Amino acid sequence: MERFDSPFYRSMLRSVTKPARYVGGELHAVDKSHAFFSLCQEERVHFALSFPDLYEIAMSNLAIQILYSALNSDEYVFCERCFAPDVDLRAFLKERNLPLVSIETMTPLSNFDIVGFSLHYELAYTAVLEMLDLGGIPLRAAERSDSDPLIIAGGPIACNLEPMAPFFDLVLLGDGEFQLPMLVNEYKKHKASKSSKVDFLRHVCCMDGVYIPSFYEPHYHEDGQLKAIKVIDPYAPQSVRKALVRDLDSAPVPHQPIVPNMEVTHDRMILEIFRGCARGCRFCQAGFTYRPLRERSPKTLIEAAQRLIDSSGCDEIGLLSLSTSDYSQLDHLTRTLLPIAEPRHINLSLPSLRLDSFDFELAERLARTRRGGLTFAPEAGTQRLRDVINKNITEDDLFDAARTAFENGWDRLKLYFMLGLPTETDDDVEGIIDLTMRLLAIWHDIPKDVRAKRLSVTVSTSFFIPKPFTPFQWERQISINEMRRKQKQLADGLRDRRISYHWHDFESSVLEAVLARGDRRLASVIERAWREGAYLDAWHEHFNRDLWFEALSLIPGGADFYTRERDDDELFPWEHLDIGVTRRFFERERALSREGRVSLSCFDGCSGCGCGVWHAGICSQTSSIEQKEEGNHE
Amino acid sequence: MSDNRKQRLILFFARRGATAWLAHLDNMRLFERALNRAGWPIAWTEDAFNPRPILVFGLPVGVGIETRRDPVEVTLERCIDVDWMIERLNRSFPRGLEVVDWNEAPDTKRSLMSLVQAADYSIEAPLIGQAFSRTFDGDRPVVVSWVRKGKMREIDIALRIIETYDIRDDSIDFKGGAGSDCHLRVDLLLDALVRDGGLSKEDALGARIIRKRVYGDLLT
Repeated sequence: MERFDSPFYRSMLRSVTKPARYVGGELHAVDKSHAFFSLCQEERVHFALSFPDLYEIAMSNLAIQILYSALNSDEYVFCERCFAPDVDLRAFLKERNLPLVSIETMTPLSNFDIVGFSLHYELAYTAVLEMLDLGGIPLRAAERSDSDPLIIAGGPIACNLEPMAPFFDLVLLGDGEFQLPMLVNEYKKHKASKSSKVDFLRHVCCMDGVYIPSFYEPHYHEDGQLKAIKVIDPYAPQSVRKALVRDLDSAPVPHQPIVPNMEVTHDRMILEIFRGCARGCRFCQAGFTYRPLRERSPKTLIEAAQRLIDSSGCDEIGLLSLSTSDYSQLDHLTRTLLPIAEPRHINLSLPSLRLDSFDFELAERLARTRRGGLTFAPEAGTQRLRDVINKNITEDDLFDAARTAFENGWDRLKLYFMLGLPTETDDDVEGIIDLTMRLLAIWHDIPKDVRAKRLSVTVSTSFFIPKPFTPFQWERQISINEMRRKQKQLADGLRDRRISYHWHDFESSVLEAVLARGDRRLASVIERAWREGAYLDAWHEHFNRDLWFEALSLIPGGADFYTRERDDDELFPWEHLDIGVTRRFFERERALSREGRVSLSCFDGCSGCGCGVWHAGICSQTSSIEQKEEGNHE
Repeated sequence: MSDNRKQRLILFFARRGATAWLAHLDNMRLFERALNRAGWPIAWTEDAFNPRPILVFGLPVGVGIETRRDPVEVTLERCIDVDWMIERLNRSFPRGLEVVDWNEAPDTKRSLMSLVQAADYSIEAPLIGQAFSRTFDGDRPVVVSWVRKGKMREIDIALRIIETYDIRDDSIDFKGGAGSDCHLRVDLLLDALVRDGGLSKEDALGARIIRKRVYGDLLT
C-alpha cells in the first residue's frame, strides 16, 4: 500500500505544519528500492544522508545534493535522506513511540547500514542526538553494537567535532565527494566479509580524511587544559590529514539535483565556481580549512549551468564560492551565462562580491534580470581594525562602490560588521557609525534626479567567534556584558530613519564559541542540554539559554573556560587533525595581526601556509612555494 | 504548428500522492518550474521589478486535498501544439501531478477565479456517511465559525452544500459551493461532522479528500 493510502499517515500529515517537508516524491528524488532490495544483503549498502535541521535548510545545502547524487550513482548503494522533524512531528512520533524514518522509503533510521550527518554549524548538535534517539539508535559509539548502524559525520565543522566525538564512529575531514563513496565502498567489502566494526574502522583509519574518535584519548591538566591527545589504537595514525579534491573539474556536479516541491530557504540552483579562498581574513575558518583555492573551468560551469536550467526549471542560479569576484574568469563566465539565463527569465545571483574589485558593469548586467539590494561586508569600522583582521579593503573602496551604486539607482544597501574582534576599542565601534553616516552623506551629495527616491541601509552585526584553524584561534570572545555595551553604543549611534540595525543574539553567540573550540568533555554538556529539552538551537524561537548555561555548569569554569584567551603554547583539542595550514603559519599571522599588519593573498604570492604540499589549484601556479614552505611542517 | 499570437489555455490537472500535500503557493511554483522544464512559452507580466509568469489557478488547493480536474489558465507567447506540449509537461512533473485535459480559455475579460462557482468532492473516512446524514438532517442550519483577519466569522455551511450525490458508510460525494461567493471549506465541513455528526477526530484527520471537478461560468 502506498503511504498516502493510509488514514494514519494522512492524520499524521494533518497534525503537523508544512507536511510537504516529510512526504518526498520530488523530481529527481531517487527510489530504487525494488532493484536495491532484491540485491543480496551482503553486497548492498543502505545509507541515510542526514541533516540535523529542517527540510527547508537541508535542501538548501549543496553538500546534500552532491553526496546524494554521488552515492546513488552506485547501484549497490541506496542513499536516502533523513532530516530533523519540526517540534510538532517530533512530539507526534514520541507520543506514539514511532521511529524517525527516511524520506524516500520510510525506513527507520536504525535499519540503515550507515547514517551520515552533514554538519555545518555547532548549534545543530542537539538535533543529531534527537535524530539518533528518535531513530532508535544508542547515542554513544561505545554503547552501540556491531548490529547498529555506523554513525559518521562530515562537513565544514568536522575540523573540530571533539564535543560530539563520543557520538560518532567515524568523522570525515575535508572534501567528501570522492572520499565518502570510497569509504562506502570499503564498507561494502566489510559487510561481505562479515568483519567486526572495529576491524572495519582499523582498515579505513589510514585513508585521507578518515578520523576515528575512539582511537584517540584526550588527557587534561587539573585546570581543564588539554595535556595530551594519546593514540590508543595501534592502527591509528598520529595525525589525520583532510581529504582534498585536487582537481575540481574532476569532481561530480549533480546534473539532476532534487527539485524540492516546497519552498526552501535558498530556493535556487547552485553552481560552485571554486573552493577555497586566497584572501586569508584572520577570523574566517572556511577561508583556511578549504584551502587551497581550486577553480572549476568556465567550460565545466557553463555545461553544468545549462543542465541545471533544463533539469530544474528554477528561476535563479546562484554562483557559490567564498569570494565570487576572485574567480579568474568571472567576466567570461557571466557574459556567457547571462544570454542563456535572460531569455528564460532566470536570475543570476552573485553573492560574496568583494568591494575592492566590485564591477558595476557586471552588477548592471545582473540587475537587468532582477535588481535586489547590494550587500557589502567591511567587517570592521576602522582601517586599523580591518588591517588587524586582514580584510584588505579600504574606505575608498567602500565609498567608491557605494557612490557608483547610488548613481546607478540602487537604493538598498546592507552592511555586515563584526563586534568584539581582537583589539577592538570604542573608537572602532564608533567607526562603524561614522562609516554608515558618511555613506548617507554620499547619497545626499548625489543629485536627486540621478539617485533613487529613498535610501534604506541595513546594518547587521554579529559577534566575533574565535574558530579553530584560524589565526584568531587563541583569542578570547568578549563577555555578554561587553556585547551588550557595544551593541547599545551602536544602536544609539545609528538612530536614523534610513538605517535599520540588526544584531545577533548574545547568548547563542557565546554557545557557538564554546562549542566551536570545545573539547570532548562538552559531550556530556550537549547530552544534558538535549535531555533537558534543547533542540533546533539555531532557531531563535527554540533556543533556550537557561538549559544550556545550566548544562555548562558541569564543567568547572563553565562557558568562560572555553571563551577565554588560550595560552600561546596551549594544546588545542584539534591538534591531531591536519587541514593543511600549519600552526606555525597561524602563529605568524597572529603576530602580524597584533602589529596591525596585513599579509599577502595567494594571488600576490605564497605566504607558505602549508597547503603547497598538495600542488593543487592556486598552489600549483606559485613558483616559490617549496622554498617558503621549508620548515613549516612540524 | 505554431504562430505568434498569444494563446490562452485552460489546463485541467489532477494531483495525487505527495503533491497533494503541497500548499497552494508551492503548487503554483511547482507548475511554473514544470512548465519551464517542458519548454512552454509562458507569457510574463510586464512588471519591471518583479515579473511573474502569467498563470491563474481557478481555485486555491488546500494542503491534503487531491484533485482530479482543477482548472489553471496559462497565457502563452505564441500558439503551440497543445497535445504534444502536454505530453512533455506531464513528463516534467514530479510523480502525482498530471494534466488530464485542456480547453481554449473562454473569450471573456473575467478572471478564471471569478468564473468558478462550485466543485464536486468525494471524502472517504470510516462512518462519514452517518455523520453527514446526522449533521445535515432536514433544513436545520449548520453554523460553523472561524477566525479571519482577527475577526470571528460565522456561516451556515448547509447552504453551501449544493447537491448530495451519494452517501455511503465510508464515503460521501457531493457538490459544494466554490469561488469567492459561497465557498465551502472542506476542513470546516469536517469540523462540523465531528461536532454534530459524531465523526471521530482521528478519522476526520485521516480522511481522504478529493476534489473531482470544478464548475463555473463558461468552464467546460
